[in-house]
Amino acid sequence: MGEHTVASFDEDLEQISKLIRDMADLAGSMVGGATKALLNSDNVLAQRVVSDDAIMDARQRELDDRAITLIAKRQPMAHDLRHVVGAIRMAGDLERIGDLAKNIAKRVSAVGLSVTPRDLSHSIDAMAQLVLIQVQGVIEEYAAGDAAALAKLRAADERIDVKYTSVFRELLTYMMEDPRNITACTHLLFCAKNLERIGDHVTNIAENAYYVLTGEQLPVNRPKQDETTMSAPAT
Amino acid sequence: MTQMLSPDMTMTETVAEKTKIEVKNLNFYYGQSKALKDITLSLPERSVTAFIGPSGCGKSTLLRVFNRIYELYPKQTAEGQVLLDGKNILDRSQDLNLLRTKIGMVFQKPTPFPMSIYENIAFGVRLYENLGKSEMDGRVEQALKRAALWGEVKDKLNASGLSLSGGQQQRLCIARTVAVKPEVILLDEPASALDPLSTAKIEELIDELQADYTIVIVTHNMQQAARVSRQTAFMYLGELVEFDRTEKIFTSPREKRTQDYITGRFG
Repeated sequence: MGEHTVASFDEDLEQISKLIRDMADLAGSMVGGATKALLNSDNVLAQRVVSDDAIMDARQRELDDRAITLIAKRQPMAHDLRHVVGAIRMAGDLERIGDLAKNIAKRVSAVGLSVTPRDLSHSIDAMAQLVLIQVQGVIEEYAAGDAAALAKLRAADERIDVKYTSVFRELLTYMMEDPRNITACTHLLFCAKNLERIGDHVTNIAENAYYVLTGEQLPVNRPKQDETTMSAPAT
Repeated sequence: MTQMLSPDMTMTETVAEKTKIEVKNLNFYYGQSKALKDITLSLPERSVTAFIGPSGCGKSTLLRVFNRIYELYPKQTAEGQVLLDGKNILDRSQDLNLLRTKIGMVFQKPTPFPMSIYENIAFGVRLYENLGKSEMDGRVEQALKRAALWGEVKDKLNASGLSLSGGQQQRLCIARTVAVKPEVILLDEPASALDPLSTAKIEELIDELQADYTIVIVTHNMQQAARVSRQTAFMYLGELVEFDRTEKIFTSPREKRTQDYITGRFG
């Protein structure tokens, strides 16, 4: 894409792109930090994640302000318009990812030191790794302008859903084995659900990014693999 | 570019779609210089089509071909076909006065005649029709109402057309065009010399008029093209680069040149 005749238009768009990259970096660090704090019962790290959420919210507000001002001042068209509207929507998803990571971090102290989550769930670690790869990948692929990779990344969310189902079953087994595990396992279940939701927000971002790059919408239907709703009430 | 370009309408829209003006392989020359290169497109009836593009791209030239107003000037020639309801208006046998009653034109700068508001409208009607006093009064009122000007001028129909504000003058010109009951209205930058409120009134008027007329508008204001038209043609250096539904042109155009122009990367 060439440069605008009005150079400050390019600068305005670049500032919005930079905010999205910053928010994505922060989202990645919050998700990584929250799961690490959970698995290692690290309250200090959990606190850092909780306080990072305020930074995330502030960035989103700044992005909204800049995007609205740009629309009012420049009346962007075509790719520029998709870029700005896409950024507003992506920022909304990134902010939600921050909230969900914060919620995981807040549960670290509730799970407590009595049980080690790592022993209770082997799958949650693997699930968290998958989610982290998705969070970090989506903005990288968007910045690289790789629409095909974004479509693939969106489809890869299926693996997170499969993992979530297995975490759910695993935790259910522990609760049935020993009722003293119920408190910790319930918290872990919420954490797993949060991770699964983070995956969904990443697919939203991938869909938006794909639209920004190509002007085409990805097909609505994506295979869903969350089978936990078949055996338990929806959370 | 010889293939037929027509807006890619959805199924429901295409059902009632009838072509009003069909341009086939049109070339236009100012002396030796070629200003339009093999233009082919079809304009649907009772809808607004916008022509956009940088200065000198040929959009006004194309508009001027539709009522053969270019023939007023020497050494301007058109080759190819422009079919109005299937009949080639570039034919030598075409009656120009008849053509111009069917295809009215409004210019960038308001051009009221130096006569009363009433006469500005009645003058054109008299050229083609012989109406009695009450019929003519009715026609003038109807035209002024159609142009959303009646309320503002009904008590001063004998005042000079030149006493009106710029926006009112432009609506008077539209009323004058509508009064002779045309089928097509050509608008060449109709709001570029007007303030935002007058512009909004003209745009509202265009929106209402499309129920009865086929409208073609040339504009430099892209937001205006996006607001008022159903299909948009982007022209560049005498070529028709892209012609599609307006939403498509302004959200995800197919051609890079269109994208560069509407996003402000050249032109």
